[in-house]
Amino acid sequence: MSAQFEPVILGFLCNWCAYAGSDLAGVSRLQYPPNMRVIRTMCSGMVHPRLVVDALERGLDGVIVMG
Amino acid sequence: MILIQVITLAERLGVHRNTIRNWVKTGKIPARPAPGRGLLLSREDFQRLCQEFALDPGSLNPRELALAETREVVTVPVALALHASEQPERSRLPITFQEAVMSDKVVGSVLVVGGGIAGIQAALDLADSGYYVYLVEKGPGIGGKMAQLDKTYPTNDCAM
Amino acid sequence: MVECGRHLNIELLTLSEIDTISGQPGNFLVTLRQHPRYVDMDKCIACGLCSQKCPRKVPDEYQMGVGTRKAIYISYNQTVPLKYVIDKDHCIYFQKGKCKACEKFCPTGAINFDEPEEVRTVNVGSVILAPGYKPFDPTGFDIYNYEQLPDVVTGLEYERLLSASGPFQGHLVQPSTGREPKKIAWIQCVGSRNKACGNGYCSTVCCMYAVKQSLVTAEHLHGDDIQQTIFYMDLRAHNKEFERYYNDAMAKGVRFIRSRPHSVDPGEKNIGARIYYVTEDGQQVREDFDLVVLSVGLEAPADALELAAKFGLKLDQYRFADTSSFAPVLTQREGVYVCGAFSGPKSIPRSVTDASAAATAAAKNLVTARGTLTKEKTYPPERDVSGEEPRVGVFVCSCGINIANTVNVPEVVDYAKTLPYVQYVENNLFSCSTDTQVLMAEKIKEHNLNRIVVAACTPRTHEALFADTLREAGLNGYLLEMANIRNQNSWVHQQSPEAATAKAKDQVRMAVAKALRDFPLQRLSVAVSQRALVIGGGLAGMTAALDLADRNYETVLVEKSDKLGGNAWFLNKTWKGEDIRTNLQVLIAKVENHPKIKVLKQAEVKSVSGSVGNFQSDIIVAGRTETVSYGIAVLAIGAEEYKPNEYLYGQDARIKTHLEFDAELRERSAQVAKAGSAVFIQCVGSREPERMYCSRVCCTHSVHSAIKLKELNPDMQVFILYRDIRTYGKREDLYTKARELGVLFIRYDLENKPKVRKEGDNLLVEVVDPIVQMPVTIPADYLVLASAIVPRQHEQLMELYKYNVNTDGFINEAHPKLRPVDSLVDGLFLAGLCHHPKPINESVSQAMAAVSRAGVILAKERMSLDAIKSYPTEKCDGCALCVDVCPYMAIKVEEYRDNGQVHRRIVTDKALCKGCGLCAATCPKDGVEVHGFTMEQLQAQVDAVVAGFAQAGA
Repeated sequence: MSAQFEPVILGFLCNWCAYAGSDLAGVSRLQYPPNMRVIRTMCSGMVHPRLVVDALERGLDGVIVMG
Repeated sequence: MILIQVITLAERLGVHRNTIRNWVKTGKIPARPAPGRGLLLSREDFQRLCQEFALDPGSLNPRELALAETREVVTVPVALALHASEQPERSRLPITFQEAVMSDKVVGSVLVVGGGIAGIQAALDLADSGYYVYLVEKGPGIGGKMAQLDKTYPTNDCAM
Repeated sequence: MVECGRHLNIELLTLSEIDTISGQPGNFLVTLRQHPRYVDMDKCIACGLCSQKCPRKVPDEYQMGVGTRKAIYISYNQTVPLKYVIDKDHCIYFQKGKCKACEKFCPTGAINFDEPEEVRTVNVGSVILAPGYKPFDPTGFDIYNYEQLPDVVTGLEYERLLSASGPFQGHLVQPSTGREPKKIAWIQCVGSRNKACGNGYCSTVCCMYAVKQSLVTAEHLHGDDIQQTIFYMDLRAHNKEFERYYNDAMAKGVRFIRSRPHSVDPGEKNIGARIYYVTEDGQQVREDFDLVVLSVGLEAPADALELAAKFGLKLDQYRFADTSSFAPVLTQREGVYVCGAFSGPKSIPRSVTDASAAATAAAKNLVTARGTLTKEKTYPPERDVSGEEPRVGVFVCSCGINIANTVNVPEVVDYAKTLPYVQYVENNLFSCSTDTQVLMAEKIKEHNLNRIVVAACTPRTHEALFADTLREAGLNGYLLEMANIRNQNSWVHQQSPEAATAKAKDQVRMAVAKALRDFPLQRLSVAVSQRALVIGGGLAGMTAALDLADRNYETVLVEKSDKLGGNAWFLNKTWKGEDIRTNLQVLIAKVENHPKIKVLKQAEVKSVSGSVGNFQSDIIVAGRTETVSYGIAVLAIGAEEYKPNEYLYGQDARIKTHLEFDAELRERSAQVAKAGSAVFIQCVGSREPERMYCSRVCCTHSVHSAIKLKELNPDMQVFILYRDIRTYGKREDLYTKARELGVLFIRYDLENKPKVRKEGDNLLVEVVDPIVQMPVTIPADYLVLASAIVPRQHEQLMELYKYNVNTDGFINEAHPKLRPVDSLVDGLFLAGLCHHPKPINESVSQAMAAVSRAGVILAKERMSLDAIKSYPTEKCDGCALCVDVCPYMAIKVEEYRDNGQVHRRIVTDKALCKGCGLCAATCPKDGVEVHGFTMEQLQAQVDAVVAGFAQAGA
């Protein structure tokens, strides 16, 4: 691991808003740190709590659900 | 078809409105009742009526309707017709309009001029309901003025 | 917009102008002049290199001149078509004969300096004109000093200043200094309601856009010393939810000053501006502002005259297309229709409504030719991949340099080869190009691939394209996954290529993990009933029924009372002077005699089942029940006049509501003419805490009636007591005329409403005149109350169709701007007063628009629904936890027998389900899942992330 702490963050993004917003951030070339991994969902309400708990238990540093 | 009001005819003839209605029922007046206390009759019948009772046609305040002249069923014309005095003047062909040279065939496509939000909506509706659309835009891309707006009220949604 | 660019049945002809038109309705021949783009649309892949290399900077018209673009450019990032264009007037090569930098750098050889102008002829059945508007240019009006002062901007320029895609990335700055402004002023009615500049009309939208800008600005700026001021004459917040929005702005501290500033001078050291104005009570004020926004109006586009001449249309004195209230999109030329701001300034939702209405009008004449020119795509039969081991193909896109400049693409390709079940990996310069699609299809067949991963841009824009390619190659379109390594990677991590490459690998791994668990899904196909139900037999309902029937759809019109016509029976004339009853009679005759319309009077909808495409209802008609099945329904249940309990209404025969006074004018005009004075009180029941909306029609109606009174008897004293006169659009001319005729307008405040009392036989109205600041007492022979429009009782219908209403009881539309006639229930459309108060022309337009939207559904005999839907698994035990969370009410519980035992489980209605997966997240036992987004698939992606994390940590 590099000397500096680099968290891995799991993102669940709603296809209709947050995922679209994330795409637009790209179109607008807004720069942000490359630590997030995105899973596209049809709605942020689709994210089962079990998935979130599981991800955290297995060592991911953060989970963000956007929608 | 000509539309007149029962009350106008009653006043002109100096009889009660119900008398007029009875005459219509018995066929003495060749008309049929129309919504809003009106009477519908063909142009010929209207003229005959005026002659018979020596009435000035104008005094009956007749309205000409763009309805086909049939006895039983009134069929519906294509356009939403306005009554005669308000019918927009069908402008004769201006110079750029040549006399129609093509066949009477109806073509299943539509030309939409302008690629702003209105043009786009019209094009999408038509293309989605079975018509081929040519969307003509003066500029290099569509989107119009709305693409320039930051947000829209009252929900402050993004305009794109 | 993107939809439009991709539509199989829409041909985009950009840079084109109409040359000539000939022929007749149903069969026009139109020649178009297409100017050269100098960029080959088939070759340009919008990589942006040309623009980067172009040495010529040009003021950017998209940014309203605030900022620059190049001579080869796209207007903005999401432009459609996304193809570059050379601006000949500024291109160095075209002007000086040398340069061609773009040609040198274009990777696909798309630049063509020799492209000629083309002339094209198209054969069409109808024409719709929507040339839009032009913002008023305040240049040359010295009172505003717009040219001289950098800190005086127009409304549209200010939009760009606020926008995140604007020249300052959404940081609001004062143009002269680059600092954040503290005091901002808006001046309303610049280029509107002003005979001096030739525009006597009201531009309708500026009040609200200024209020919006002030509220958005409040989100941008922070600090206690921020002050925003709007200088206005009448605040016209008349559309749905606008009044609340306006009140919100007042509550948030935006200062509203009723005054038209008479001059704008430079501020100190030429920074900011100094505004001179006179307050309502007559004080002269001089005030400094950091930034002044001119709320410029909307004008007819410059080419309107030309267009009108070519098509033989009549324009009004302001060069807007002249249309009638009962046929708001029809022109004098049959077969040619208008919509949008071309027929008068209007807001976005009204433009959209008009556009759909024009589509209906245009389609109606062409019913016999429907479907003759449209294309439909056909695909080869699908290969059965069940039982096959997954064979994954990965296509990694470089997107020119868009991805490859940041992400090490060869490394990603090599990595993808190491993943399980991956059989084939390839790098494309542009995965989306047409030739790559052909190649992809070949590779799928050659390597017998059965799962495809495309690592490129976003699935939101390109999934459909690649799914199509899969289908052309004989694969089910749902066997595709995309890894978004451009929008969510290379474009946003330009500074850290290594981390970006690592992320891209993770993204590909996640996509492959999900793809392995993809299964072929079938889009649902349901038959569409080709019949329509219209509820409400007023003007809107009848218009909708007639247009549906004219478009050849069997229509049932349900009317509660025993008479068609609704509220229109109580009105005399439209504001344009058209006789309402005559037009109504014509319409009723047509509706009642139309062979395709079945009119049910004294009828009520009693039950509703099914969903879009397949509704069924029991309708009680005068005691008996009729069952109707239909594909769509139009709600046009209208609204009614508020019966006031204020201003002594009901206690004196001289006090009347608008509708009552119309009857008086109709039946006893001789008596009305004898009156010595008449007083109108506006906003009776509207714009008050319990009814926080504007009823929209009352100002115009009072002004119109006042003119009528003055015409009957010029000596009559006519007063209108108002809060803001909202004669929007071209109705402003009536207001001007009323004042010229001597109608007296006295403004009152909500806190200080007029008082009505009786002294003996005299009816007296007392109001505080804001100019003299004294109460005045007016004796009234007639007191007309402009009472509100209130929604009808419709709880039962609401319960049946599950549509919803806003706080005021008006039915909600699906989107306030873009889908103003669709309700939130699929297949249910809105028209007329039940949506919001509106005048006749807007009701008619909305009814026609509802037909157009309905036509989209009815056009197909079968309807295809997306396959991403929830479905119960065998683990479901019918606990019903999911039933309540489903926002679309698509889940029901059923009982079934198995081995003599009664069990419960859920059933989902695929037509109602939107695939949101709330049920799946609620279920404690995996009893319900969503196709394409199963728990297993989401878990597999989580696992893939965790695996990468473990690897990196090791």
